[in-house]
Amino acid sequence: MHPQTLRILALAVALLATVLFFSTQIDGYLSARMFTRITTSAAVILPLAVAQAIVVITRNIDLSVGSIVGVVAYMTGDILGQFPDLPPVLVCVMAMGIGAGLGAINGVLVAWGRVPSIIVTLGTLALLRSFLVEYSDARTITTASLPAWLVDLPQANAFSVFGLDVRVTVVLALASAVVMGLCLSRLRAARRVFAVGSNPDAAVMAGINAGQVVFWSFVLSGALAGLSGFLFLAKFGNITVVAGMGMELKSVAAVVVGGVSVLGGSGSMVGVVIGTLLVDTIDNSLTRWELVSEFWRDALLGFLIMAAVTVDTVMSRQLGRLARKET
Amino acid sequence: MTVLSLQHVSKSFAATAALKDMSLAIEPGEIHAIVGENGAGKSTLIKIMTGVHQPDRGDILVGGAPVVLRGTQDAQSHGIAAIYQEPMVFPDLDVAENIFISNRNEGAVMNWRRMYAQADQIVAQLGVKLDVRRAASGLTLAEQQTVEIARALSLNVKVLIMDEPTASLSAHEVARLLTIARALKAQGVSVIYISHRLDEIFQIADRVTVIRDGSHISTRPIAEVTPDGLVHDMVGRAIDSFAVKTEASPHGAPVLELQGLGRAGVFRGIHATVHAGEVLCFAGLVGARRTDVALAVFGIAPATEGTIRIDGAPVTIRTPAEAMGHQIAYVSEDRRKMGLAMSLPIFANISLASLRKLMGLLGLIDRKAELAMAETYRKQLAIKAADTGVEVGKLSGGNQQKVMLAKWLETKPRILIFDEPTRGIDVGAKAEVHNIIRTLAGQGVAVIVISSDLPEVLALADRVLVMREGTQAGILPIAEATQERVIGLAAGHDIKGAA
Repeated sequence: MHPQTLRILALAVALLATVLFFSTQIDGYLSARMFTRITTSAAVILPLAVAQAIVVITRNIDLSVGSIVGVVAYMTGDILGQFPDLPPVLVCVMAMGIGAGLGAINGVLVAWGRVPSIIVTLGTLALLRSFLVEYSDARTITTASLPAWLVDLPQANAFSVFGLDVRVTVVLALASAVVMGLCLSRLRAARRVFAVGSNPDAAVMAGINAGQVVFWSFVLSGALAGLSGFLFLAKFGNITVVAGMGMELKSVAAVVVGGVSVLGGSGSMVGVVIGTLLVDTIDNSLTRWELVSEFWRDALLGFLIMAAVTVDTVMSRQLGRLARKET
Repeated sequence: MTVLSLQHVSKSFAATAALKDMSLAIEPGEIHAIVGENGAGKSTLIKIMTGVHQPDRGDILVGGAPVVLRGTQDAQSHGIAAIYQEPMVFPDLDVAENIFISNRNEGAVMNWRRMYAQADQIVAQLGVKLDVRRAASGLTLAEQQTVEIARALSLNVKVLIMDEPTASLSAHEVARLLTIARALKAQGVSVIYISHRLDEIFQIADRVTVIRDGSHISTRPIAEVTPDGLVHDMVGRAIDSFAVKTEASPHGAPVLELQGLGRAGVFRGIHATVHAGEVLCFAGLVGARRTDVALAVFGIAPATEGTIRIDGAPVTIRTPAEAMGHQIAYVSEDRRKMGLAMSLPIFANISLASLRKLMGLLGLIDRKAELAMAETYRKQLAIKAADTGVEVGKLSGGNQQKVMLAKWLETKPRILIFDEPTRGIDVGAKAEVHNIIRTLAGQGVAVIVISSDLPEVLALADRVLVMREGTQAGILPIAEATQERVIGLAAGHDIKGAA
């Protein structure tokens, strides 16, 4: 079997095992309400994980996504407060546009300034957060200032299967993953994204403009973080200066758990979706599990990241050894 | 009608002229070999032809029309591509994706089935068997090269440059690569074949060009060339800056003996003895694995076969610390990476390998003794710096070399290995380093010098050990070592009794 298929199967089994485990621990866990709770929560993370995956595939990392979510959520809410009649689609596109603009700052510095992405995005993580504090003047966006369609969006149902409600926000988030998944497997340009992450020197030798590829992946990452910011605004309605804080950790966890190589060059959107679901299921379930304090949630995310990367490294070393033995 | 030609191309880096008035014409469908010594300008020539560097003067003509090549992509669009000794593949992509990664003329959407079919077709054209759907990560070096050649074919190249393509291949793989080169030729692709291996060149080339010191020396049909003549063209340089040593200096008892020394997959069968007061030089072309022998003796990458004897007794050396215990010192080729702490002052670098000696009360460093020691070396080796507190990174290359030497001299070595001791330093400093090496030998130290600079070898050595592709090609007493003999051995062709 292809190693990638094997990994997806293993992830699916892990997800199933997690759900079964918590169903024995938490009363009323296997319910339609819990399904809605987890899927709508994962919907906010998913575009962010997709964004992170694209950047990580190019052998970079985007730590600023959480701050971009915060800035986009606040600015979009602020603009809606002044122009409540903007059409919903335009609002969504605008949120993604703001995100893309912020991503472009990262992109320029990484691709052409040749500054390591971990430093650039750590910088923008802090800078954007401070910008938000200054911009908001410590005020809060409240549902009262938002148009009704947006406030009602999280409760809007797209369709139901087996008595489980699938929300519009969930469909939107899944759509972003599906579209990006199709792009990554079908577009010729996407091959260059994988190529740059797989072997940057070879990419230059093969006549690929690596700087351009990296730049656009950061722009895309920003745009998807913008979508996440829009969904964040819809879900919570009340936006403070700490909005989206710490979400970069969740996005990195979802991506590495989902099997995207931290060394770049490989990863699939199916893996990212399951990884996101797994991370968010654990995160949401822990808050209801009486045995463990919810302050351990971050620790668990950290553990998941380390475990996923360790398993990955050990496995690829073993596979490498096997391959050498064969020849 | 030439497919690619260079006309009077010159290229300099800083003050060094890498190419001087170079002219070269490649005919369609020919295999054109280019040979030259280390530093003859081959790499620069390739980089000019692939658009990595732009010439300072002169023209590049493709199909008779002058062009400017602004980069690899630009060169590719003019039908020129190169493959290198170390192939450049994408381990996470499959073979077919690797082949078509540079292809820009296809649509925006991938047609996987068609891509695999075309990849199969190109691989078949090359006459090799390769599953185009498998990931590139497990491919052998030879298979990775095949992928690169296939990539070039997919771009419809007219000229394919192969830079030392067989340097890391087994005999069987070499034969297959030569077959591929002939297949390319049969399809009208011109191959520029750069190799140190004269036997391959005589097997495959239609014409051969010799370059030396950045200049074009000769281009002749292979039928009109003999191996002797080729070697003669490669070295035919007058030695001016250094006197050639004609006679071995007197020396004492054997100190270091290497008996069948080897390291699996790297080098093997090295037999040599270095006596007290003797200078043994390791000569060979780049990639002959000379440094690996030094790394084995010094315990950085220990030997896996053979015996090392010191004063006649067999020893095992697994780590640099053990080597230093046997009073072996290794002055590395790479000053920056393995030799010096650039941000530390001179005295701290000199004392680094002998800190134990300077340890005083409570294990603290005796700073006064440390400075005194450094000062002695500053005077003795004429290190040009105001005092020993100057950061090593601020010194010139030659002075850095002296600091590194001082560090190892303080360990009082009986066996001293120099790896490219004068690379990248100016002529004056070079002569000083040579004098220091001679003085050390005069004091009874057994010296090994690894050098790619042939005049340097002939000026320093009592004996010359020539390596070729990880094996010992020969060992010559200085009286028998001529440039032709050494280069001939290094390239796999022994010229006996030639002038």
